[in-house]
Amino acid sequence: MSNEIKTQVVVLGAGPGGYSAAFRAADLGLEVVLVERYSTLGGVCLNVGCIPSKALLHLAKHIEDSKHMADHGVSFGEAKIDLDKIRAHKEKVVGQLTGGLDQMSKMRKVKVVTGKGEFTGANELKVVGDEETTIKFDNAIIAAGSQPVELPFIPHDDKRIWDSTDALELPFVPEKMLILGGGIIGLEMGCVYSALGSKLDVVEFMDQLIPAADKDLIKVFTKEMQKKYENIMLETKVTKVEAKKDGIHVTFEGKNAPEKPVKYDAVLVAVGRTPNGKKIGADKAGVDVDDRGFIKTDNQLRTSADNIFAIGDIIGQPMLAHKAVHEGHVAAENIAGKKHFFEPKVIPSIAYTDPEVAWAGVTEKEAKEQGIKYEAVTFPWSASGRAIASNATNGFTKLIFDKENDRLIGGAMVGSHAGELLGEVCLAIEMGSDAEDIALTVHAHPTLHESVGLAAEIYEGSITDLPNKKAKKK
Amino acid sequence: MADAKEVKVPDVGGDEVEVIEVLVSKGDSVDAEESLITVESDKASMDIPAPFAGTIEDIKVKEGDKIKEGDLLALIAEASGSSDDGDDSDDSSDDSSDDAEEPEADSDESDDEQAQAADDSADEDDDSGEAKVIDVEVPDIGEDGEVEVIEVLVKEGDSVNAEDGLITLETDKATMDVPCPEAGTVKEVVVKEGDKVKQGSLVIKLEVKGSGGAKKAKSKDSGSSDAKSKDKQASSSASTSSDSKEDSSQESSSQETSSSRSRKPPVPDHPLARKGQSEGIVHASPSVRRVAREFGVDLSQVKGSGPKDRILKEDVQQFVKYELSRPKASSAPSTGGEGGLQVIAQPKVDFEKFGEVEKVQMSRIQRISGPNLHRNWVTIPHVTQFDEADITELESFRKSENEMQAKMKTGMKFTPLVFIMKACAQALREYPVFNSSLHEDGEHLIMKKYVHIGIAVDTPNGLVVPVVRDVDKKGIKQLTEELNEISAKARDGKLKATDMQGGCFSISSLGGIGGTAFTPIVNAPDVAILGVSKSEMKPVWNGKEFVPRLKLPLSLSYDHRVIDGAVAARFTTYLNHALSDIRKLLL
Repeated sequence: MSNEIKTQVVVLGAGPGGYSAAFRAADLGLEVVLVERYSTLGGVCLNVGCIPSKALLHLAKHIEDSKHMADHGVSFGEAKIDLDKIRAHKEKVVGQLTGGLDQMSKMRKVKVVTGKGEFTGANELKVVGDEETTIKFDNAIIAAGSQPVELPFIPHDDKRIWDSTDALELPFVPEKMLILGGGIIGLEMGCVYSALGSKLDVVEFMDQLIPAADKDLIKVFTKEMQKKYENIMLETKVTKVEAKKDGIHVTFEGKNAPEKPVKYDAVLVAVGRTPNGKKIGADKAGVDVDDRGFIKTDNQLRTSADNIFAIGDIIGQPMLAHKAVHEGHVAAENIAGKKHFFEPKVIPSIAYTDPEVAWAGVTEKEAKEQGIKYEAVTFPWSASGRAIASNATNGFTKLIFDKENDRLIGGAMVGSHAGELLGEVCLAIEMGSDAEDIALTVHAHPTLHESVGLAAEIYEGSITDLPNKKAKKK
Repeated sequence: MADAKEVKVPDVGGDEVEVIEVLVSKGDSVDAEESLITVESDKASMDIPAPFAGTIEDIKVKEGDKIKEGDLLALIAEASGSSDDGDDSDDSSDDSSDDAEEPEADSDESDDEQAQAADDSADEDDDSGEAKVIDVEVPDIGEDGEVEVIEVLVKEGDSVNAEDGLITLETDKATMDVPCPEAGTVKEVVVKEGDKVKQGSLVIKLEVKGSGGAKKAKSKDSGSSDAKSKDKQASSSASTSSDSKEDSSQESSSQETSSSRSRKPPVPDHPLARKGQSEGIVHASPSVRRVAREFGVDLSQVKGSGPKDRILKEDVQQFVKYELSRPKASSAPSTGGEGGLQVIAQPKVDFEKFGEVEKVQMSRIQRISGPNLHRNWVTIPHVTQFDEADITELESFRKSENEMQAKMKTGMKFTPLVFIMKACAQALREYPVFNSSLHEDGEHLIMKKYVHIGIAVDTPNGLVVPVVRDVDKKGIKQLTEELNEISAKARDGKLKATDMQGGCFSISSLGGIGGTAFTPIVNAPDVAILGVSKSEMKPVWNGKEFVPRLKLPLSLSYDHRVIDGAVAARFTTYLNHALSDIRKLLL
């Protein structure tokens, strides 16, 4: 029969946002129950998102790099792919992290209830799993996340039509594969399958891959992608997907559409994610959910119900784990009586493709739209000793400064390890650093991250590693 | 080789510095790097060295001068070959080639500057020699802090005459207009309603007809008269046009604008003001923003003490402390929270239930003075001493004197008030405790050695209290003139804040209207105030009979913490005697 639990805080969803909120609340002395529908904690990110994809991308990168080594005098021969072993490796990585979460919830005395949770009232949540549990709570944090968007004209049931979760399962290496959607998730998986030997096409409705990022970055990025993809179809959409015995037949329409339908062995649908707001009985708790399934919160993450908070993908874009984690902390802290707000200046975005694309803060596009008087400076990695030595000269680092006060308002980079360079940019923006602050910070040499300092020097007019356009002024 | 060369002030790392010592004099020979003058900035003092060896032909600055980068410092005839290392010839050729490049550098500059801010248009106009743009700043308004701009009276393109009002400012005590210094055309309005300004804040850029003359004369000007009066920005850009080597001066001027921009918002002065401040200007890290949120502090109000005006946690703490310690302003009219006065709120009454009503805005002065009056009323233990002065003789003297003045057509007319002022001044000298203020520690008195008396003046806008200075040292005639002048100013709303500061004691005279007595409220930090009601002929027993005497009712309210009742009675008695027999005023 049904159990009943009483608790101060229930957290619905154990993804990065949910477990962070639960652990933070527990650390602040609250009694916490964490509800998760799957048997492992960690949500999409740890189980079928960020982490497994990075495990595979790591392998992909080495496969690709080993091919180029021959040019530098080191030959490895053809890579041999053992799909089962790769899968096992990936699962080990995931298992290590999710296992860690189990332990940490035990340490913090966070009770985990497995099953699908739905609100039945303003202070009650019903969880249906192997058994049914009713949780009476004072406060709740909704962290129920999102799931891949499914398109109505696509037969998603077919085994050869994948979403990101399916693709990460590595069911087989298709000979010819279509990535539907030129965003981060699709392109990352594309890198994996390209390295494993698939021939790839990608189709994107907008006029560039990763539409949110600045054009100059994507120009470099697309050039690299052209080596991996047979056909990059921009400003093109898919109108028909037919699952036949010999393959998936896809019909395109638009600027770069092939005339005839193309046959693929697999299609990865990666056109975005949709929030799970409508699946949790939010209305019964008095939590407003909009038409698209997003829950609206104030900047303390409180929903329309005073005792219920919401965080992560379910409250809006960007749907990123690091945003959810910080929101989780703020929500837990507010429940614990603190008066905290979620108001960061920037939330970074990274595509872990090869090369990586990373940006934070205002993009040049946004700066123009917002009428900011800005100046963008770019340090090409072709002038970086470390990049040259590491075969990474195709990248560059761009910083965007507010000309009114010389403060950094945005930064972006494309290239190997670009994502690892972004941290400095985020910190600099949060701290209100101006160009001089960054230029006067001693960056280690030779590194890729020194390109951030050097870009600031370009703005300052003190650069010596490149011709200095502003030399006369200083 | 003995041509005199100009030596200009190098980058001194600030806007203006004061010359505190001139170390050389005309005819001295100096070596390269020998100190010429010592200057002092707000951070340090430093010597300015001679750039090359030579003989001083002329020194253009003197002690006490304010100078800045690019100003002409001295003329030095360069010594030939006598200086160090023989690279002297290189030096001089460098110099001359610099000179030759000057015009080019200049034009480069203006190209760049076009892209810069509007104030550079001043330069171009300057160069054209026809009209020039000057910066009009807020003059001394007698306020240390910032005051709010409540109205902007001109807009871009307006023609204005000298003395026309440009903007209206509101201080604690009054409103005032900032007048236009010269006739011209408004080129740019820099302030807007709601801005906080203080002395030196830029108000408008005004295009005025140039005084004529060639460029040369003008560039000399900019060194002296211009620089004195004009805003720092203007003078630095003026020097840009006239002098060379402006690469760095441009930098300093842009630094200046940016620092003055970031300096402007903070000053924790008015909790409700400054809403439009864009979030982006605030310079605070995430942890500081969090602390600010916890205390509900609007960071745009906080002055940052960190590098580049960054707001530190300590600044937020200081701000909160300051806000908690300062008296509650108009926001809390119901409870004088300061002294922990817990009173219940006024009941809300729906007046319309009882008949037709109309909601009328109180005058600005009322709204400003209300909270001050309230504070004084609840925090000062008031006692009011009443008395009546016999002014029969005074009045007959005053009237005959006025007749005399009328006959002589001097235009002078004495009022009773000046005599009362004079008598009060004497009484304040006699009983100095009335001429004091209570120290904030509550344990000391500040005794004033001057006698300035505030006179409450009823104006169409409300009650104001202008101050007449050194009443004890002035004669009746002079006081009459000053009182007339200041009353007229008060009625026209032209009082400056300084006109209303520094009072030691106040007089509120309702004698012209009526009433037998009233209880005025002490105008803190004064400790006493004299109320004067309408004089009346009364029967007085002189020992044998009742005689009619003109009696002037006096009501002296005082701060009982400072003044004992006995002293107060003595004070009014003294006043009484002085007014009854004004010969005493001579003593």
